[in-house]
Amino acid sequence: MSADASDLSLVRRVQRGDKGAFDALVLKYQHKLVKLVMRYVRNPAEAEDIAQEAFIKAYRALPQFRGDSAFYTWLYRIAINTAKNAVVSRDRSPVEYDLDRNNNDESYDMQGRMKDSETPEGLVLTDEIRSTVNAAIDALPEDLRTAIVLRELEGLSYEEIAAAMDCPVGTVRSRIFRAREAIDRRLREVFEGGLGRAEELG
Amino acid sequence: MNEELDSQLSAMFDDELAPAECELLARRLSRDEPLKARWGRYAIIGAVIRAERGVRLNAPLAGRVNAVLLAEPALAAHAAPRDRTSMRLRWWQPLAGSAVAAGVAAVSILWLRTHSPAADAQLAARVASPAAVSPAPAGAAAQGDSYIVPLPKPAGVMVPSTELANYVVAHSMFSPPVARRNLLSAFMTSEPAPAGTDEPQSDVKTIAQ
Repeated sequence: MSADASDLSLVRRVQRGDKGAFDALVLKYQHKLVKLVMRYVRNPAEAEDIAQEAFIKAYRALPQFRGDSAFYTWLYRIAINTAKNAVVSRDRSPVEYDLDRNNNDESYDMQGRMKDSETPEGLVLTDEIRSTVNAAIDALPEDLRTAIVLRELEGLSYEEIAAAMDCPVGTVRSRIFRAREAIDRRLREVFEGGLGRAEELG
Repeated sequence: MNEELDSQLSAMFDDELAPAECELLARRLSRDEPLKARWGRYAIIGAVIRAERGVRLNAPLAGRVNAVLLAEPALAAHAAPRDRTSMRLRWWQPLAGSAVAAGVAAVSILWLRTHSPAADAQLAARVASPAAVSPAPAGAAAQGDSYIVPLPKPAGVMVPSTELANYVVAHSMFSPPVARRNLLSAFMTSEPAPAGTDEPQSDVKTIAQ
Protein backbone atom coordinates (compact mmCIF):
# COMPACT_ATOMS: atom_id res chain seq x y z
CA MET A 1 0.00 0.00 0.00
CA SER A 2 1.54 3.29 -0.97
CA ALA A 3 0.90 6.21 1.31
CA ASP A 4 -0.95 9.11 -0.28
CA ALA A 5 -2.04 6.98 -3.27
CA SER A 6 -5.57 8.28 -2.84
CA ASP A 7 -4.57 11.94 -3.02
CA LEU A 8 -2.10 11.24 -5.78
CA SER A 9 -4.72 9.56 -7.94
CA LEU A 10 -6.94 12.63 -7.54
CA VAL A 11 -4.01 14.98 -8.19
CA ARG A 12 -3.11 13.12 -11.39
CA ARG A 13 -6.70 13.48 -12.57
CA VAL A 14 -6.62 17.24 -11.93
CA GLN A 15 -3.34 17.47 -13.81
CA ARG A 16 -5.04 15.77 -16.75
CA GLY A 17 -7.74 18.45 -16.72
CA ASP A 18 -10.39 16.96 -14.40
CA LYS A 19 -11.57 19.81 -12.16
CA GLY A 20 -14.04 17.55 -10.36
CA ALA A 21 -11.14 15.67 -8.78
CA PHE A 22 -9.86 18.92 -7.29
CA ASP A 23 -13.29 19.44 -5.76
CA ALA A 24 -12.83 16.15 -3.89
CA LEU A 25 -9.46 17.33 -2.57
CA VAL A 26 -11.00 20.60 -1.36
CA LEU A 27 -13.83 18.72 0.37
CA LYS A 28 -11.33 16.46 2.09
CA TYR A 29 -8.95 19.14 3.34
CA GLN A 30 -11.02 22.32 3.75
CA HIS A 31 -11.58 21.90 7.49
CA LYS A 32 -7.98 20.98 8.21
CA LEU A 33 -6.78 23.93 6.19
CA VAL A 34 -9.09 26.44 7.88
CA LYS A 35 -7.99 25.13 11.27
CA LEU A 36 -4.36 25.49 10.22
CA VAL A 37 -4.85 29.07 8.98
CA MET A 38 -6.61 29.97 12.22
CA ARG A 39 -3.23 29.73 13.94
CA TYR A 40 -2.39 32.94 12.09
CA VAL A 41 -5.74 34.77 11.97
CA ARG A 42 -8.45 34.66 14.60
CA ASN A 43 -11.39 35.56 12.42
CA PRO A 44 -12.96 32.38 10.94
CA ALA A 45 -14.24 34.27 7.88
CA GLU A 46 -10.77 35.59 7.17
CA ALA A 47 -9.35 32.09 7.68
CA GLU A 48 -11.82 30.76 5.12
CA ASP A 49 -10.79 33.46 2.64
CA ILE A 50 -7.13 32.60 3.10
CA ALA A 51 -7.85 28.88 2.78
CA GLN A 52 -9.78 29.59 -0.42
CA GLU A 53 -6.83 31.56 -1.80
CA ALA A 54 -4.47 28.73 -0.83
CA PHE A 55 -6.60 26.17 -2.66
CA ILE A 56 -6.68 28.32 -5.79
CA LYS A 57 -2.91 28.84 -5.64
CA ALA A 58 -2.48 25.10 -5.22
CA TYR A 59 -4.68 24.41 -8.25
CA ARG A 60 -2.64 26.79 -10.38
CA ALA A 61 0.63 25.28 -9.15
CA LEU A 62 -0.48 21.66 -9.57
CA PRO A 63 1.28 21.21 -12.93
CA GLN A 64 4.55 21.64 -11.00
CA PHE A 65 3.58 19.16 -8.27
CA ARG A 66 5.67 16.05 -8.87
CA GLY A 67 4.55 13.98 -5.93
CA ASP A 68 7.89 14.09 -4.09
CA SER A 69 6.00 14.92 -0.92
CA ALA A 70 2.46 14.11 0.19
CA PHE A 71 -0.17 16.37 -1.37
CA TYR A 72 -1.32 17.62 2.03
CA THR A 73 2.24 18.52 3.06
CA TRP A 74 2.56 20.56 -0.13
CA LEU A 75 -0.86 22.17 0.37
CA TYR A 76 0.02 22.87 4.02
CA ARG A 77 3.11 24.86 2.96
CA ILE A 78 1.09 26.89 0.43
CA ALA A 79 -1.54 27.66 3.09
CA ILE A 80 1.04 28.76 5.66
CA ASN A 81 2.77 31.05 3.17
CA THR A 82 -0.57 32.50 2.08
CA ALA A 83 -1.58 33.10 5.70
CA LYS A 84 1.75 34.75 6.53
CA ASN A 85 1.51 37.00 3.48
CA ALA A 86 -2.07 37.92 4.36
CA VAL A 87 -1.04 38.86 7.91
CA VAL A 88 1.90 40.95 6.65
CA SER A 89 -0.19 42.78 4.04
CA ARG A 90 -2.96 43.41 6.59
CA ASP A 91 -0.42 44.79 9.07
CA ARG A 92 1.03 47.05 6.38
CA SER A 93 -2.32 48.62 5.58
CA PRO A 94 -4.01 49.25 8.92
CA VAL A 95 -5.24 52.67 7.76
CA GLU A 96 -7.28 51.21 4.90
CA TYR A 97 -8.76 48.65 7.24
CA ASP A 98 -9.71 51.28 9.80
CA LEU A 99 -11.14 53.59 7.17
CA ASP A 100 -13.32 50.82 5.86
CA ARG A 101 -14.50 49.96 9.31
CA ASN A 102 -15.17 53.56 10.32
CA ASN A 103 -17.03 54.79 7.29
CA ASN A 104 -20.37 53.52 8.64
CA ASP A 105 -21.03 51.80 5.37
CA GLU A 106 -24.01 49.61 6.14
CA SER A 107 -23.52 47.40 3.09
CA TYR A 108 -19.90 46.64 4.03
CA ASP A 109 -20.98 45.66 7.51
CA MET A 110 -23.70 43.38 6.19
CA GLN A 111 -21.31 41.78 3.73
CA GLY A 112 -18.82 41.17 6.51
CA ARG A 113 -21.49 39.58 8.64
CA MET A 114 -22.72 37.37 5.84
CA LYS A 115 -19.25 35.90 5.39
CA ASP A 116 -18.72 35.38 9.07
CA SER A 117 -19.24 31.90 10.45
CA GLU A 118 -20.76 33.49 13.56
CA THR A 119 -24.02 34.14 11.70
CA PRO A 120 -27.02 32.57 13.47
CA GLU A 121 -27.65 29.97 10.78
CA GLY A 122 -23.95 29.10 10.58
CA LEU A 123 -23.74 28.66 14.33
CA VAL A 124 -26.93 26.64 14.58
CA LEU A 125 -26.01 24.30 11.78
CA THR A 126 -22.41 23.88 12.91
CA ASP A 127 -23.52 23.15 16.48
CA GLU A 128 -26.19 20.78 15.25
CA ILE A 129 -23.70 18.92 13.06
CA ARG A 130 -21.25 18.70 15.94
CA SER A 131 -23.80 17.42 18.45
CA THR A 132 -25.26 14.94 15.94
CA VAL A 133 -21.87 13.47 15.09
CA ASN A 134 -20.88 13.27 18.76
CA ALA A 135 -24.18 11.58 19.66
CA ALA A 136 -23.77 9.13 16.80
CA ILE A 137 -20.23 8.29 17.93
CA ASP A 138 -21.43 7.71 21.48
CA ALA A 139 -24.11 5.36 20.18
CA LEU A 140 -21.59 3.23 18.26
CA PRO A 141 -20.60 -0.21 19.50
CA GLU A 142 -17.29 -0.10 21.35
CA ASP A 143 -15.18 -1.75 18.61
CA LEU A 144 -16.48 0.60 15.91
CA ARG A 145 -16.00 3.69 18.09
CA THR A 146 -12.45 2.70 19.01
CA ALA A 147 -11.53 2.05 15.38
CA ILE A 148 -12.87 5.40 14.05
CA VAL A 149 -11.41 7.41 16.93
CA LEU A 150 -7.97 5.80 16.57
CA ARG A 151 -8.09 6.61 12.90
CA GLU A 152 -9.43 10.17 12.99
CA LEU A 153 -8.10 11.43 16.29
CA GLU A 154 -4.79 9.59 16.58
CA GLY A 155 -4.18 9.32 12.84
CA LEU A 156 -3.15 5.66 13.06
CA SER A 157 -2.90 3.53 9.93
CA TYR A 158 -5.14 0.48 9.53
CA GLU A 159 -2.16 -1.73 10.29
CA GLU A 160 -1.43 0.13 13.52
CA ILE A 161 -5.09 -0.01 14.53
CA ALA A 162 -5.13 -3.75 13.74
CA ALA A 163 -2.15 -4.22 16.06
CA ALA A 164 -3.74 -2.10 18.77
CA MET A 165 -7.10 -3.88 18.56
CA ASP A 166 -5.59 -7.31 17.92
CA CYS A 167 -7.61 -8.01 14.79
CA PRO A 168 -6.95 -8.34 11.04
CA VAL A 169 -6.52 -5.23 8.87
CA GLY A 170 -9.64 -6.20 6.90
CA THR A 171 -11.68 -6.09 10.10
CA VAL A 172 -10.34 -2.61 10.85
CA ARG A 173 -11.34 -1.42 7.41
CA SER A 174 -14.81 -2.87 7.86
CA ARG A 175 -15.24 -1.37 11.36
CA ILE A 176 -14.20 2.10 10.25
CA PHE A 177 -16.52 1.93 7.27
CA ARG A 178 -19.46 0.77 9.40
CA ALA A 179 -18.77 3.51 11.95
CA ARG A 180 -18.75 6.15 9.21
CA GLU A 181 -21.92 4.77 7.69
CA ALA A 182 -23.75 4.90 11.01
CA ILE A 183 -22.64 8.49 11.67
CA ASP A 184 -23.33 9.52 8.08
CA ARG A 185 -26.93 8.30 8.23
CA ARG A 186 -27.58 10.73 11.09
CA LEU A 187 -25.58 13.50 9.45
CA ARG A 188 -27.55 13.29 6.19
CA GLU A 189 -30.75 13.89 8.14
CA VAL A 190 -29.24 17.05 9.66
CA PHE A 191 -28.11 18.37 6.32
CA GLU A 192 -31.42 17.69 4.67
CA GLY A 193 -33.41 19.22 7.52
CA GLY A 194 -30.78 21.70 8.68
CA LEU A 195 -30.49 23.55 5.41
CA GLY A 196 -34.22 24.19 5.49
CA ARG A 197 -34.01 25.54 9.03
CA ALA A 198 -31.13 27.78 8.04
CA GLU A 199 -33.20 29.31 5.26
CA GLU A 200 -36.03 30.00 7.72
CA LEU A 201 -33.57 31.73 10.04
CA GLY A 202 -32.18 33.81 7.17
CA MET B 1 -25.71 2.86 -2.74
CA ASN B 2 -23.34 -0.02 -3.34
CA GLU B 3 -21.86 -1.10 0.01
CA GLU B 4 -18.61 -2.33 -1.52
CA LEU B 5 -18.17 1.01 -3.27
CA ASP B 6 -18.78 2.90 -0.03
CA SER B 7 -16.35 0.65 1.79
CA GLN B 8 -13.74 1.44 -0.86
CA LEU B 9 -14.53 5.14 -0.54
CA SER B 10 -13.94 4.98 3.21
CA ALA B 11 -10.61 3.18 2.70
CA MET B 12 -9.60 5.66 0.01
CA PHE B 13 -10.40 8.54 2.33
CA ASP B 14 -7.90 7.04 4.79
CA ASP B 15 -5.26 6.41 2.09
CA GLU B 16 -5.68 2.69 2.68
CA LEU B 17 -6.86 1.63 -0.75
CA ALA B 18 -4.61 -0.03 -3.33
CA PRO B 19 -3.34 2.46 -5.94
CA ALA B 20 -5.04 0.65 -8.83
CA GLU B 21 -8.41 0.80 -7.03
CA CYS B 22 -7.74 4.44 -6.15
CA GLU B 23 -7.34 5.27 -9.83
CA LEU B 24 -10.73 3.80 -10.67
CA LEU B 25 -12.50 5.31 -7.69
CA ALA B 26 -10.92 8.74 -8.20
CA ARG B 27 -12.39 8.77 -11.68
CA ARG B 28 -15.84 7.98 -10.36
CA LEU B 29 -15.51 10.35 -7.42
CA SER B 30 -14.76 13.30 -9.63
CA ARG B 31 -18.03 12.78 -11.55
CA ASP B 32 -20.47 11.26 -9.06
CA GLU B 33 -22.00 14.08 -6.99
CA PRO B 34 -23.70 11.88 -4.32
CA LEU B 35 -20.42 10.02 -3.83
CA LYS B 36 -18.58 13.34 -3.55
CA ALA B 37 -21.13 14.58 -0.99
CA ARG B 38 -20.55 11.43 1.06
CA TRP B 39 -16.79 12.02 0.79
CA GLY B 40 -17.36 15.56 2.08
CA ARG B 41 -19.38 14.25 5.04
CA TYR B 42 -16.56 11.82 5.91
CA ALA B 43 -14.35 14.91 6.18
CA ILE B 44 -16.90 16.56 8.50
CA ILE B 45 -16.99 13.47 10.74
CA GLY B 46 -13.20 13.64 11.04
CA ALA B 47 -13.32 17.37 11.81
CA VAL B 48 -15.83 16.80 14.62
CA ILE B 49 -13.84 13.92 16.13
CA ARG B 50 -10.71 16.09 16.10
CA ALA B 51 -12.80 18.86 17.70
CA GLU B 52 -11.73 21.43 15.13
CA ARG B 53 -13.21 24.40 16.94
CA GLY B 54 -13.94 27.59 15.05
CA VAL B 55 -14.23 25.70 11.79
CA ARG B 56 -17.57 26.13 10.10
CA LEU B 57 -18.69 22.60 9.32
CA ASN B 58 -21.21 23.69 6.74
CA ALA B 59 -18.70 26.06 5.18
CA PRO B 60 -19.36 26.81 1.53
CA LEU B 61 -15.62 26.91 0.95
CA ALA B 62 -15.60 24.07 -1.58
CA GLY B 63 -18.39 25.78 -3.52
CA ARG B 64 -16.52 29.09 -3.52
CA VAL B 65 -13.30 27.46 -4.73
CA ASN B 66 -15.27 25.59 -7.37
CA ALA B 67 -16.91 28.83 -8.56
CA VAL B 68 -13.52 30.53 -8.96
CA LEU B 69 -12.05 27.52 -10.76
CA LEU B 70 -14.94 27.44 -13.22
CA ALA B 71 -13.39 30.50 -14.84
CA GLU B 72 -9.96 28.89 -14.87
CA PRO B 73 -8.81 26.81 -17.82
CA ALA B 74 -8.48 23.10 -17.08
CA LEU B 75 -4.91 22.06 -16.54
CA ALA B 76 -3.43 20.80 -19.81
CA ALA B 77 -2.85 17.13 -20.26
CA HIS B 78 0.78 17.66 -21.21
CA ALA B 79 1.37 19.52 -17.94
CA ALA B 80 0.91 16.35 -15.93
CA PRO B 81 4.33 15.19 -14.91
CA ARG B 82 5.06 11.51 -14.94
CA ASP B 83 6.81 9.82 -12.11
CA ARG B 84 10.45 10.81 -11.84
CA THR B 85 11.91 7.56 -13.15
CA SER B 86 9.95 7.61 -16.37
CA MET B 87 10.69 11.33 -16.79
CA ARG B 88 14.38 10.61 -16.41
CA LEU B 89 14.13 7.85 -19.00
CA ARG B 90 12.10 9.77 -21.50
CA TRP B 91 13.41 13.32 -21.70
CA TRP B 92 16.60 12.43 -23.53
CA GLN B 93 15.11 9.89 -25.91
CA PRO B 94 14.00 12.33 -28.66
CA LEU B 95 17.23 14.28 -28.28
CA ALA B 96 19.34 11.15 -28.50
CA GLY B 97 17.41 9.94 -31.54
CA SER B 98 17.91 13.26 -33.31
CA ALA B 99 21.57 13.40 -32.39
CA VAL B 100 22.26 9.88 -33.67
CA ALA B 101 20.39 10.52 -36.93
CA ALA B 102 22.14 13.85 -37.49
CA GLY B 103 25.52 12.35 -36.63
CA VAL B 104 25.12 9.44 -39.04
CA ALA B 105 23.99 11.78 -41.80
CA ALA B 106 26.84 14.24 -41.23
CA VAL B 107 29.49 11.51 -41.14
CA SER B 108 28.16 9.93 -44.31
CA ILE B 109 28.12 13.29 -46.14
CA LEU B 110 31.68 14.03 -45.08
CA TRP B 111 32.85 10.56 -45.98
CA LEU B 112 31.27 10.62 -49.39
CA ARG B 113 32.60 14.09 -50.11
CA THR B 114 36.16 13.35 -49.10
CA HIS B 115 36.21 10.09 -51.01
CA SER B 116 34.55 11.42 -54.13
CA PRO B 117 36.82 11.65 -57.22
CA ALA B 118 35.05 14.85 -58.22
CA ALA B 119 36.10 16.48 -55.01
CA ASP B 120 39.68 15.33 -55.61
CA ALA B 121 39.61 16.85 -59.04
CA GLN B 122 38.29 20.16 -57.75
CA LEU B 123 40.94 20.26 -55.07
CA ALA B 124 43.58 19.47 -57.62
CA ALA B 125 42.38 22.35 -59.75
CA ARG B 126 42.65 24.81 -56.88
CA VAL B 127 46.24 23.90 -56.08
CA ALA B 128 47.10 23.13 -59.59
CA SER B 129 50.71 22.82 -60.59
CA PRO B 130 51.79 24.89 -63.61
CA ALA B 131 51.65 21.82 -65.75
CA ALA B 132 48.06 21.24 -64.83
CA VAL B 133 47.00 24.76 -65.69
CA SER B 134 46.09 25.56 -69.21
CA PRO B 135 47.70 28.66 -70.63
CA ALA B 136 45.54 31.69 -70.50
CA PRO B 137 44.20 33.01 -73.72
CA ALA B 138 46.56 35.46 -75.38
CA GLY B 139 44.22 38.38 -75.14
CA ALA B 140 43.57 37.91 -71.48
CA ALA B 141 47.03 39.00 -70.36
CA ALA B 142 46.67 42.15 -72.30
CA GLN B 143 43.44 42.90 -70.52
CA GLY B 144 45.00 42.31 -67.11
CA ASP B 145 43.03 39.14 -66.46
CA SER B 146 44.45 35.67 -66.06
CA TYR B 147 42.45 32.52 -66.06
CA ILE B 148 43.16 29.27 -64.30
CA VAL B 149 41.30 26.53 -66.03
CA PRO B 150 41.06 23.27 -64.11
CA LEU B 151 41.63 19.95 -65.67
CA PRO B 152 38.52 18.53 -67.20
CA LYS B 153 36.69 16.09 -65.00
CA PRO B 154 37.17 12.51 -66.00
CA ALA B 155 34.18 11.29 -67.88
CA GLY B 156 31.89 8.95 -66.02
CA VAL B 157 32.88 10.12 -62.52
CA MET B 158 30.01 11.49 -60.54
CA VAL B 159 29.01 12.00 -56.93
CA PRO B 160 26.70 9.19 -55.93
CA SER B 161 24.03 11.72 -54.95
CA THR B 162 21.11 9.31 -55.27
CA GLU B 163 22.72 6.87 -52.90
CA LEU B 164 23.57 9.66 -50.49
CA ALA B 165 20.10 11.16 -50.68
CA ASN B 166 18.52 7.79 -49.99
CA TYR B 167 20.83 7.33 -47.05
CA VAL B 168 19.99 10.71 -45.58
CA VAL B 169 16.26 10.27 -46.16
CA ALA B 170 16.31 6.83 -44.58
CA HIS B 171 17.95 8.18 -41.45
CA SER B 172 16.06 11.44 -41.33
CA MET B 173 12.90 9.65 -40.18
CA PHE B 174 14.48 9.63 -36.73
CA SER B 175 15.08 13.38 -36.80
CA PRO B 176 12.62 16.07 -35.75
CA PRO B 177 10.95 17.81 -38.72
CA VAL B 178 12.99 21.02 -38.47
CA ALA B 179 16.31 19.20 -38.29
CA ARG B 180 15.25 16.96 -41.15
CA ARG B 181 14.34 19.90 -43.34
CA ASN B 182 17.57 21.73 -42.55
CA LEU B 183 19.67 18.67 -43.20
CA LEU B 184 18.01 17.91 -46.52
CA SER B 185 18.09 21.49 -47.72
CA ALA B 186 21.75 21.81 -46.73
CA PHE B 187 22.46 18.63 -48.58
CA MET B 188 20.61 19.78 -51.70
CA THR B 189 22.24 23.21 -51.83
CA SER B 190 25.74 21.91 -51.17
CA GLU B 191 25.60 19.33 -53.95
CA PRO B 192 27.35 20.31 -57.15
CA ALA B 193 24.99 20.63 -60.08
CA PRO B 194 25.00 17.62 -62.30
CA ALA B 195 26.73 17.86 -65.61
CA GLY B 196 24.67 19.30 -68.36
CA THR B 197 22.69 21.78 -66.29
CA ASP B 198 22.82 25.50 -66.99
CA GLU B 199 23.88 26.42 -63.51
CA PRO B 200 27.28 28.16 -63.49
CA GLN B 201 30.02 26.37 -61.65
CA SER B 202 31.86 29.06 -59.83
CA ASP B 203 34.92 27.03 -59.10
CA VAL B 204 35.63 26.27 -62.73
CA LYS B 205 37.20 29.59 -63.50
CA THR B 206 39.31 31.66 -61.15
CA ILE B 207 39.89 35.26 -62.09
CA ALA B 208 43.26 36.61 -61.08
CA GLN B 209 43.50 40.35 -60.87
